[in-house]
Amino acid sequence: MDISFQLNSSTEAFFQELEKNKKALQDSWAYITETLNTALLQQDVETLLSLIPYMEQGEGTLAYAHIGESRRVLRILHIIQLELTYKKTPFFLHCTNKNSLMEKYMLSLFALRRLAFQLAEDSVKEAQNYLSTSRLSIFAIYIILQEDLICPTQALYDGILSLCSAYWNAADKELFLSLTAGR
Amino acid sequence: MDEHKFCFILCTNNDILLSEAIHYISHLNVPAGYTTELLTVTDAASMTAGYNEAMTASNAKYKIYMHQDVFILNRNFLSDILAIFRSDASIGLIGMTGYESVSPDGVMWHVQNRLGTPYKRKASYPPLSDYRYSLSEDGYRRAALVDGFMMITSTDYLWNTEDLTGWDFYDAWQSLIFLLHGCKVVVPTQRHPWCMHDDGGVLNLTNYNRYRQKFLRAYHAFLGKHYSEIMP
Repeated sequence: MDISFQLNSSTEAFFQELEKNKKALQDSWAYITETLNTALLQQDVETLLSLIPYMEQGEGTLAYAHIGESRRVLRILHIIQLELTYKKTPFFLHCTNKNSLMEKYMLSLFALRRLAFQLAEDSVKEAQNYLSTSRLSIFAIYIILQEDLICPTQALYDGILSLCSAYWNAADKELFLSLTAGR
Repeated sequence: MDEHKFCFILCTNNDILLSEAIHYISHLNVPAGYTTELLTVTDAASMTAGYNEAMTASNAKYKIYMHQDVFILNRNFLSDILAIFRSDASIGLIGMTGYESVSPDGVMWHVQNRLGTPYKRKASYPPLSDYRYSLSEDGYRRAALVDGFMMITSTDYLWNTEDLTGWDFYDAWQSLIFLLHGCKVVVPTQRHPWCMHDDGGVLNLTNYNRYRQKFLRAYHAFLGKHYSEIMP
């Protein structure tokens, strides 16, 4: 069997499987979106966090496998779970639907990237302003830096610590230092 | 046609992403004597329809078709692509990543040896201010196909709106159109990534196969072919 034939066969099989799952995939993403909108509107933490097992083990795994945005949704839910466990202000504060939640995440990521890239003075200043005032938890910052598309350096860690010191307590700072030491 | 003009063209449905993409564009160094413009298309019926609308509206010789989730990191991007186009008048299309051959199954990334340097997590990159490209030292590689997250052209060919009514395969299709018109398709050798493509880490392929089938039918003769077999 030549390589082209094998490639074509496996590609056909992949797309047949995807076609078979298309409806379930759309339904699972619709469920995730609807649940986020409802839970955020009502600030219903239990319903919000119920999406974690749904996406990790339930029907939501399909959405996780095929829809890029779902990766960030799950990441945010993990951030919120940690924040609630450690009694920090949750990431979803002031977010009333999925769009506002994703907007907050993306703006946070963009600010961290701008700080990392040092593109220009105005760019860095905007990022510093955002990070100084957004009151992101150490969990939010650390998980974004470790799991999203960004390459943190020691200089970036130092810059973040300096900016967030205004609202992080001593334990937060110590935790951030220990997590980022030698990375 | 304005020979000293670049036009950035983006189809968009997300203001946050678009705003960030424009932030990086606005910090690019513009070569002396050149101007830039930005055309955004919202609510396009398809990628090809949006691109044609912008293409015909602009008189810029150099058009930079890019996704709204692409952030240009190389601040000398414009002069670097200009140097590549000027080095060989037959270069018609530049991409940031690409492939030397057309995959037998039509799926671009199934070809081994991707050209270009995508931005990756947990990599070590120098500060952006240290990014330098030298045409003579770094050069470029010829390709059969380039990835649609960034396609830069020096000549206009209509995008195929008849077959491509969605958001897939416009890149492979257009790459072959350029080759079949006798234009070289190239990817610069990037010591550091010139762009970040933040696609969320997963491609949405739910409608991809429909356009793959069209591609397989239209370009059957070129499947598995190296660029040199399509345009020597």
